[in-house]
Amino acid sequence: MLPLSSHPAHPPGECPLLQVQNLTKVYPSGTVALKDVSFDVDDREFLVVIGLSGSGKSTLLRCINRLIEPTSGRVLWDGQDITAAAPAELRSIRRQIGMVFQQFNLVRRSSVLTNVLSGRLGYANPWLSLIGLWPPTERERAMRALERVGIADKVNERADALSGGQQQRVGVARALMQEPRLLLADEPIASLDPVLAHSILQYLEQLNKKDGITVICSLHFLDLVHRYATRVIGLKDGIKVFEGLPQEIDRKRFKEVYGEEAQEVRAASLEAA
Amino acid sequence: MKPTPPARRSRLVAVILSTIIPGLGQGWLGEWPRALGVFLATVTALGATLWYGKPGWLVIPAALWVWNVFDCLRLPRGAPLWLATLLWLGMAYGIGWQATEINPRAFIENSERARSVFRPMLEPDFFRLRTEVRQGWVEVEVPCSSAPPRAEHTVEAVTVRVSPDCASLNEALIVTVEGLWPNEPTQVFWSTPIGDIKLVGGQYNAMLLVTSDEAGKITALVRVPPSAQDAMPDPTLPLKHRVYVEQERKIGGIEISRNGGYILQGIYETLALALLTTTLGAVLALPLSFPAARNLMSGHAVTFFIYLVIRTILNILRSIEALIMAIIFVVIVGLGPFAGMLALTVHTVAALAKLYSEVVEGIDPGPIEAVRATGATWLQVVRFAVIPQIVPLFTALTIYRWDINVRMSTIIGFVGGGGIGYFLWQWLVLNDYRAVSSCFIAIAVVVLTLDTFSARVRERLG
Ligand SMILES: Nc1ncnc2c1ncn2[C@@H]1O[C@H](COP(=O)(O)OP(=O)(O)OP(=O)(O)O)[C@@H](O)[C@H]1O
Ligand SMILES: [Mg+2]
Repeated sequence: MLPLSSHPAHPPGECPLLQVQNLTKVYPSGTVALKDVSFDVDDREFLVVIGLSGSGKSTLLRCINRLIEPTSGRVLWDGQDITAAAPAELRSIRRQIGMVFQQFNLVRRSSVLTNVLSGRLGYANPWLSLIGLWPPTERERAMRALERVGIADKVNERADALSGGQQQRVGVARALMQEPRLLLADEPIASLDPVLAHSILQYLEQLNKKDGITVICSLHFLDLVHRYATRVIGLKDGIKVFEGLPQEIDRKRFKEVYGEEAQEVRAASLEAA
Repeated sequence: MKPTPPARRSRLVAVILSTIIPGLGQGWLGEWPRALGVFLATVTALGATLWYGKPGWLVIPAALWVWNVFDCLRLPRGAPLWLATLLWLGMAYGIGWQATEINPRAFIENSERARSVFRPMLEPDFFRLRTEVRQGWVEVEVPCSSAPPRAEHTVEAVTVRVSPDCASLNEALIVTVEGLWPNEPTQVFWSTPIGDIKLVGGQYNAMLLVTSDEAGKITALVRVPPSAQDAMPDPTLPLKHRVYVEQERKIGGIEISRNGGYILQGIYETLALALLTTTLGAVLALPLSFPAARNLMSGHAVTFFIYLVIRTILNILRSIEALIMAIIFVVIVGLGPFAGMLALTVHTVAALAKLYSEVVEGIDPGPIEAVRATGATWLQVVRFAVIPQIVPLFTALTIYRWDINVRMSTIIGFVGGGGIGYFLWQWLVLNDYRAVSSCFIAIAVVVLTLDTFSARVRERLG
């Protein structure tokens, strides 16, 4: 294991924003996707999770907001146990945690506006939202979120009429509607070309730095880890094999995470962008 | 150690075996797949020829038999396979041709009938030129009573007078008419007390036509038709017959003919029937489509069993032709549109439930996950992530089904299901090929319109 010296210390008595304790997930098929994973996340951190395909990154992120039920272990949100929360409690925790996906996960046939507004469902009046009625203030909020990611002009387009980069920006705007304290981003750029990848990550960085939103983001490219992360966790076969600052992760550490046989994944074009 | 190589076995014995039972020799020499093929080919050829009683075709099984012996003789290379294949296919094709009684000569031999069918079809009976009619009539006693009433009668402007006031069969009458349109051809005909129309022109075989004069008058000689008292129980009893005069002139423009009106009515009924069955079918298919979706039901053994049962029932129902179902329902609920409606509805439920469930199976779980992550309730997830994914496709499929149902209900009308098909059936029976062809045209127009419309809508929704 690695030295924990790099782990940011927090003042005594104040608990971290998120605590993941001994998290284990075994799928019904028998696959052990996470094995006894523990770490803390402080407010305003930009935590990057790296690991090979199949190492359990998506499973980890989804266990945090319980889109996937963990097999054992606990996840504490502001000291409150998410894993033991009743449905209503869980929903009110979820609305504070935005999520951005690799495949964008937009409703392709719905308009951009409807997709963005759906990010507000956790706050909306349940009955009015069911008939698709949104107060003007929420529509304005949606417009502001779209302006923030620079695609306000696409508001009435169908989601599938947009390019990949634009769709992911809609995804970010949808998460913004939640006014989240934490943003989970599961390989948000894996389906995008390098230039677009940077622009999406810059939005996340801006949210992190300006708005003070904590970010947990899984990534593939080491270069990007160095550029954006404030702290890094490495997963391998569901086990946490690295935790530390981005500068601590060199070729050697990288091989630990990605396996001896792996070549370093470099995206030289990213540096140019 | 290998077992005795089949090649060592006696070729002669093999040939004898094959001569007794085709393929046996090949089998004895170790070529089992070949043996089975040869056996089946010969037996099916022989069986088909005997079953359909075509002794001439026995040539082929015989040839296959010979081929089989030859094949056995030449093993391991064998006789050319293509020859056997060709022989067998020749048998299948030839007997098939005769069994389905394909007879192209029938077209030519019955050219007279073909013409009597197709000629009227070239003049579909849907529109006619607009005309107006002026008509008058008068009653005449046949035979005379002791005091016949005066034979004069006025309808609107038209006054018809016959003298004498009564007559017996074949006797002459003078018909004078006033108040007709001037210079127009006027039809004169006879109507018996039971309403039979009798012609009085020529040898009682043509319409009597008289042109009116400047003043709108005609005078005509009419003989009482010899058949005027046919079917009368007592020919000595004086009864009131009528003499009609009728003018018809074109007033410009066209209007829908009587059959055209029936066609419109039939088309309307058909569209309504199709709409009704589609709506009803869709409503019933909706709740069935979810338990028929594999992705929702494969989680648990019990749910998977339910899925299998529902899918099987739907598949069986779908494979029964709607027309046959209609006939079955006719037996149960009697002749009429209701039987057709039931059959179409059942068929629609089965077809739509399957199609809907395929939509549900193809649903993208991504948006569901994303909306769940926002803290939405279950209902909100359904409303914002599930419904937008399925509703456009459900709608498109339903419209497509309506399209199909319009076509199907045309056919189902044949068994008394109502709508245009029922009229079509009657006109076919009555040999009214003008009406039949207008029916065809009307159906084609409706189906093409609906086709285009539903394709458009589906394109927009898809
Ligand atoms: N629904 C599931 N059922 C069974 N096994 C699963 C399921 N989802 C993931 N797994 C397995 O769990 C392991 C971890 O998967 P996960 O998707 O979390 O990895 P990942 O790091 O996100 O990979 P990738 O980079 O390919 O997205 C893999 O071995 C995967 O096959
Ligand atoms: Mg993943």
